[in-house]
Amino acid sequence: MQADTARYLASRLVTTALIVFGAMLLLFTLSSIVPGDPAAILLGPQATPEYSKRMISEMGLDQPIHIRLWRFFANVASGNLGIDIVSGRPVWGMITAVLPYTIVLTFSAIFLAVITGIPLGIFAATHRGSVMDSILAFISVAFIAVPGFVIAIFLLLIFAIWLNWLPVLGTSRSGDWLDEFRRMILPTVALSLGWVGFIARLVRTSMLEVMGENYIRTSRAYGLSERLITYKYALKNACIPTITILGLGIGRLLGGAVLIEIVFARPGLGRLIYDAISERNYPVVQGAVLVVVVVFVLVNLMVDLSYSAIDPRIRHGSSGGGAA
Amino acid sequence: MGNKLSRRRVLVTGAGAAAAAGVGWPWVALAQSGAATRPLLTVRSAADFDLIDPAHRRNPTDGNVMRVVYQRLMQPKPNSSEVELDAASEVKQVSPTIIDFKLKPGQMFTDGFGEMTAEDVKFSFERIGLPPVAGAKESAYKGDWLYLVGVEVRGKYDGRITLSQPRANIYDVVIADGSGCIVSKKAVEQRGVEFGIKPVGSGQYQLVSLDKQKGAVLRRNPGYKGPRRGAFDEINVRVITDAKTADLALRAGELDFAIFAPAAADPLRSVAGLTVSDQPSIAYVWMGMNMEKGPLADLRVRQAIRLGVDVDQMLLAGYNGKVPRLNTALPPQIMGHWKEAPVYKRNVAEARALLAAAGQSSLKLRLTILNQPEYQNMALVAKALLAEIGVTVDVDAQPGGTYWSSGKADVGKNLELYMSRFNAKHDPNFVLQWFTPSQIGEWNWSRWNSAEFDGLFKAAGSETDPVKRRVMVMDMQKAMDKTSAFVWLTNEASALVHKSWLKPASVPGWGDWQYADFSAG
Repeated sequence: MQADTARYLASRLVTTALIVFGAMLLLFTLSSIVPGDPAAILLGPQATPEYSKRMISEMGLDQPIHIRLWRFFANVASGNLGIDIVSGRPVWGMITAVLPYTIVLTFSAIFLAVITGIPLGIFAATHRGSVMDSILAFISVAFIAVPGFVIAIFLLLIFAIWLNWLPVLGTSRSGDWLDEFRRMILPTVALSLGWVGFIARLVRTSMLEVMGENYIRTSRAYGLSERLITYKYALKNACIPTITILGLGIGRLLGGAVLIEIVFARPGLGRLIYDAISERNYPVVQGAVLVVVVVFVLVNLMVDLSYSAIDPRIRHGSSGGGAA
Repeated sequence: MGNKLSRRRVLVTGAGAAAAAGVGWPWVALAQSGAATRPLLTVRSAADFDLIDPAHRRNPTDGNVMRVVYQRLMQPKPNSSEVELDAASEVKQVSPTIIDFKLKPGQMFTDGFGEMTAEDVKFSFERIGLPPVAGAKESAYKGDWLYLVGVEVRGKYDGRITLSQPRANIYDVVIADGSGCIVSKKAVEQRGVEFGIKPVGSGQYQLVSLDKQKGAVLRRNPGYKGPRRGAFDEINVRVITDAKTADLALRAGELDFAIFAPAAADPLRSVAGLTVSDQPSIAYVWMGMNMEKGPLADLRVRQAIRLGVDVDQMLLAGYNGKVPRLNTALPPQIMGHWKEAPVYKRNVAEARALLAAAGQSSLKLRLTILNQPEYQNMALVAKALLAEIGVTVDVDAQPGGTYWSSGKADVGKNLELYMSRFNAKHDPNFVLQWFTPSQIGEWNWSRWNSAEFDGLFKAAGSETDPVKRRVMVMDMQKAMDKTSAFVWLTNEASALVHKSWLKPASVPGWGDWQYADFSAG
């Protein structure tokens, strides 16, 4: 069993390395195709031809892709994500300055989505066909369909302007934790609502599927309570697709919460990447994308490993059909 | 309006300030500032910060913070483009190429980096204007200190700036602006690349923190000895890129001051407790034509296009008509503005006749623009108007990443029509520098190659007689007009939105905010 897990982990780590390499190769290829002179954008009208040339050289953009890629990975191996060509500061420092904001926002949004979406999904599944089921279906689809930044604007209007309960700006200058928490509420809700709807629909569907399984009927035949069947046996198995989606969701939010970050004037990795792409600041793009890819792959690895903890029938490396 | 500084005025102001120094100028200055202090001012910055370093700053956002962190020998007066003494007790134009200065004693750099001396001034100016010494990075603002030979230290507080040629704009766009900020030599050498985020100056405020995407926190510098003490204990410059968020933050009371495009500020005009005022800008917007590209090389085609568009209609579409029309390169606020420049009216018949004379019956052109709403709207109007004279326009809206390269190097040879916007300063040479032959392939996207213009530009740059210079500058604008390659659109306007108790301060039209001179009215 342990040998299986070790083998599985090793193979996943190799896959992880290949994914990271593939992603960076794609990024480097794209960056050489995308039009736009980084020196002109970064330096503006002050850029002299000599200075532009030097900046291109400093970014390594005058080198073939394979050399740039090799240098990048060689630097990464020595713990160096590169130097921001504008400020001359390490890219790693810029990433670590904004990463905590992204991590906190992402995980709090996912947490909120889970603690809200799963109960709603269970309720809808256990009250299938009821009026509440229809209302929840409508609300869930609405949450999924409306973009997060639109929800954000409405939340701001209602809770910050009309009711004056919460602040508009998503961060404070004071470093006061309570104030930071208050400022986190609206961005978290705005980011999580779409996921609430999505998880609620997913859990409902999975629950309905699981509730029709033989072992659930057997449990009922044994006289187990409906509560025990729903929450202990059905939910556990119905959660596996949800966990898979959450893994993908966390990865997506790490770099993709950019609109929410902009609306709430909140720092984040998504904004860092977005701004760096706009400016063709390639060292920052490369470093930040690498971090997103690595975190994404690691989160999904953890998701895969969690399957066996939830359902012991699932064994890594086996065909997946083994009996407990 | 415009630059009102003359050599005589520099000497007079210097003498006045020196007299003030003799009777204890810091106390005089404090008494003059008068207004009560308030704890906090929160202002919006629409763009992010990069480096608060005069040699390596990147945008006006950096400059706004820089100007309160550092002192200069001279600085613009509040709400004015006229300059007055700052760190210097005297600035004397000894000859057209030599400027002597004397620092006020006792001006201390923050973080314990000691007193400001002439050596710091020399270091600050030369690290921008002269070739970098071993290992140092060249400043992108080297051009600001054009003709600088060097700064000679003649005493602890005395120095001499020597130029190879006279510079007409040396005071307002160099010494009293960003490239004139005085840094601590010792701090730059000690902090290296960190200096840009941990700057050491002697200005009214000290940078407490600078966080990417978040903003800058400035706290009153207790050691500041200059003439203009700030009215706020702390200034919080928040990076808020989204205009709607800034609008809501103003309504919620989390923000005291923000700049908007005039149309974006309209919903705020009726909000109690907020004041909205429009300020004309000196940033200029125009539609240009590549004079080397196919049919556009023919003057008659360019004239037809100029007569085919209706600037007022374009401005109505692009800016809701809330910006002034511009008829020449220099906005009215700038010295040498050609007031009598022709105001071209749309004339379809004449435009068609010109095209027919040029043998163009089915002309197709590409109009390259930045993908922002104002340019897109103006381009669509231009497209419709030009269609009526028989010119088919294909609008190519590009993101900033590609747009700002589209007129450069060999790619620029393929540019046809374009719409552009440049920031400016209150100096004609600064504004017109992008249209010289040496800028072809760089920022002269019309690829206008005029020896006459180039000669006038160089002469005006060195001409210290304002009357003669004004004539040269007017001639430069006339030469531009003759080419018909530029359809001037607007010098834009900004809407200042602020709490009604707040009195903002800026160099008019520059977008250079004087945070240290903001006051509670």
